Amino acid sequence: MTDLYASTPFPIRDDLAAAHARAWARIARPGTRWDGAERIAIAAEARLAPSCKLCRRRKEALSPLSIEGTHDSLGQLAEIVVEVAHRVRTDPGRLGEGWYRDVIARGLTAEQYVEIVSVVAHTVAIDTMARGLGLEVLPLPVSVPGSPSHYRPSGAKVGGAWVPWVEPADAGEVEAAIYPSDRLPANIMKAMSLIPAEVRSFFDLVTHQYLPGEAMRDFSREYQAISHAQIELLAARVSALNRCLY
Amino acid sequence: MLLRASGRTYDKTYDLAAVTGALAGDGGVPEGDHLVAFAEAVIGEDDGALARARVALMTALGPLGLVDAAGVVGPFNAIDRVADATGIPLEPEKAAASADFRVALDLDRLAIVDRI
Repeated sequence: MTDLYASTPFPIRDDLAAAHARAWARIARPGTRWDGAERIAIAAEARLAPSCKLCRRRKEALSPLSIEGTHDSLGQLAEIVVEVAHRVRTDPGRLGEGWYRDVIARGLTAEQYVEIVSVVAHTVAIDTMARGLGLEVLPLPVSVPGSPSHYRPSGAKVGGAWVPWVEPADAGEVEAAIYPSDRLPANIMKAMSLIPAEVRSFFDLVTHQYLPGEAMRDFSREYQAISHAQIELLAARVSALNRCLY
Repeated sequence: MLLRASGRTYDKTYDLAAVTGALAGDGGVPEGDHLVAFAEAVIGEDDGALARARVALMTALGPLGLVDAAGVVGPFNAIDRVADATGIPLEPEKAAASADFRVALDLDRLAIVDRI
């Protein structure tokens, strides 16, 4: 599975290639609320979104919600699913709680919503690295048949975010391992805890593309070919460009 | 905040204005100008600018540095989306620790709570 990048001209670390292979395999499998084919269709919509004419018009508008229309899509998913995948991909810095509430009112569950966000995030993380290196994006995987698990953490409840999340004290056996045992989890770790499998999968990717949690504040040594300061400058500049305060 | 923490560990002061683009240059981070140009090009849409930034960064940091830089840009481009799409707030301790430079750099204009 780690031969994903075998033909590239760059020395991509084995652990990084393996993390991408795991992420791709997980996207292909049935998730918690969407099956494998639907998850791959969500990833495909995330890739299509930058060329969607409606998304382009909204991106250029002072207020994206003032622009109505239909997304250019592959036609495999309901329009509301496409709306979420495209907006999260193309204009995340202007998403608001009113938009989220409207999406839920139009028929998506919070669980379905979180899983869409996660699949888009996985796709963006992997595709952005490819763009940085000038590589073609990886072909999407072939879906694995099966049904979603429909697991919902019993301790999930409304907290500080728009979506329900699981506080560490409310974590059951299944979701306990998604949080670090030696410190309180950052809100970004709790953000998708309504779907624990997505937290595990996404932070597996983050660990290998960025740093493991324990390495983030270990300034006694460097873990990559670039230093902590260089890593954090990149990270902070990306967040500023995306207009993300978090 | 981790950029500042890294600087404190090594007794260096990084100019955080490099983060917002208000300051041209490296911000005190080795090869910071190339890293910022690379991040801007990856997030942007100008493929020619990206090709130039990629060559410049590889010249400065070597192929391993380029791969790791591209790797880092990826998850942060994604983490921003998770944060913005789920409406998570900044943790109180992070808000307190970042209060001074959020004001200095006018970062609170990006606060999620103000969005419709």
